[in-house]
Amino acid sequence: MTFFLNAPMIGFYIIALFILGCAVMLLSFQRVIYMALAIGGVFIGCAAIYILLGADFVGVAQLLIYAGAITILIMFAIMLTNHEAADPPHKWTVRNILSAVAAVLLGAVLLLVIRSTTWPPEVEADVNGGNSNPVAVGLALFQNYTVPFELVSLLLIVGMVGAVILARERKEDEEE
Amino acid sequence: MWHWEANPLNGPAVLGMVIGGVVILILTLLVVMYSIYWQRKLIGWIQWRIGPNRVGPFGLLQTAADVIKLLIKEDVVPEKADRAMFLLAPIIAFVPAFTVLAAIPFSAHHVFTANISIGALFYVALSAITIHGVMLGAWASNNKYSLIGGMRSAAQLISYEIPLGLSIVGVVLMAGSINLNDIVEAQAKSGLWYVIPQILGFIVFMIASTAELSRTPFDLPEAESELVAGYHTEYSGFRFAFFMLTEYVYLFAMAGLFATLYLGGWSGPLLPGWLWFAIKAFLYISFQFWLQATMPRMRVDQLMSFSWKVLLPLALVNIVITAVVKAFV
Repeated sequence: MTFFLNAPMIGFYIIALFILGCAVMLLSFQRVIYMALAIGGVFIGCAAIYILLGADFVGVAQLLIYAGAITILIMFAIMLTNHEAADPPHKWTVRNILSAVAAVLLGAVLLLVIRSTTWPPEVEADVNGGNSNPVAVGLALFQNYTVPFELVSLLLIVGMVGAVILARERKEDEEE
Repeated sequence: MWHWEANPLNGPAVLGMVIGGVVILILTLLVVMYSIYWQRKLIGWIQWRIGPNRVGPFGLLQTAADVIKLLIKEDVVPEKADRAMFLLAPIIAFVPAFTVLAAIPFSAHHVFTANISIGALFYVALSAITIHGVMLGAWASNNKYSLIGGMRSAAQLISYEIPLGLSIVGVVLMAGSINLNDIVEAQAKSGLWYVIPQILGFIVFMIASTAELSRTPFDLPEAESELVAGYHTEYSGFRFAFFMLTEYVYLFAMAGLFATLYLGGWSGPLLPGWLWFAIKAFLYISFQFWLQATMPRMRVDQLMSFSWKVLLPLALVNIVITAVVKAFV
């Protein structure tokens, strides 16, 4: 692999630095609302990586869904609920230690998977197969992966209906 | 003809992009300055007044005077406000407003237009980021009117973004591309602007885009009579100017999107492309000001149900009709 300082590589380093900076800020902030903003930064950085890789559609979808909708959902939840404005000081409990171990394990598994994948050798390999990116995504979704795509949408609908039912039952309890 | 995407990213290309950005920024500031002037003048005429006529010939420098006034005002940060967030919010609000202009094809030669393959979606996705700036500014102000205004604004922008996006889908289906340049070219080739075959989507787009811009009759986030000024109640001076600038840059960007999607962008007979684009964008902006002088404000309880129960079904019907016509006729 070549690590020459060409423009996409410099772009990648800047974006990666931005993502890691936001992630570190997310962990080190004490106020919850700042964390929400930092996670927004992480999402925007990820979208930039997708666009850098030529997956425009995925990048913009990331921007629309994660940086737009989900971060705003988090902010709404923070602003409209009753909670401590700042996190309580950190303590090492059994739960925290187990979480740390799980996080390290997850990192190791991800690293293993990344290392064992055979990446396309050519740097200029065209992931879109000669089409524009949205066309390529559409062809992949509706030709090769139609059944998984439909199953995922089914899963989303089930999740949505579940959320509606959960919210509804609680209201009826309050009325009684 | 210069194409950004066909050239490697090297020194001159980066320099070209920076120059392009600065030129568009200056153009945008000019457009914003004179849309504010035109707004005051037009509404003045509609209300049987004269409008600004003191600063410069015909009052043409009125907005410049207003901006200078805002710039030299004291920059007040309320004592109980969340300082860092309060200072950051106007920037978060403004940056996406200016970035979306990159995807709008101003002229036939795409001098400063990014040929993004997902142009229309790019606009919708980035404009969602502005909601963060509005909400954070509202929350950081530590003021109940600001918070209520910010919440209203966020709820309204999110709800109306969906019919807006779905009304664009109709155009995308007809053109067979989400690339705004391709959409203009498809209209120029067919010789029929999409406002005619997409009339239903066009109506949904006009209503939803008015709501996205928080303009009358959807100006609930800034309802003066109940909320003082909504999310920017506590802002003053330069930061207030930034929020206002965001609003008017979006007006310009939405006018560009409107012209591109429904009126064939820069395409048109005889006149040069940029002039056609300017005429179409001017039509949209004037329409917004005309609405502002004519319509009363909607009630807050009507706002959400109107989006979800009227506009969304209409947009879906439009998509189904377009798809059926496209596939079988």
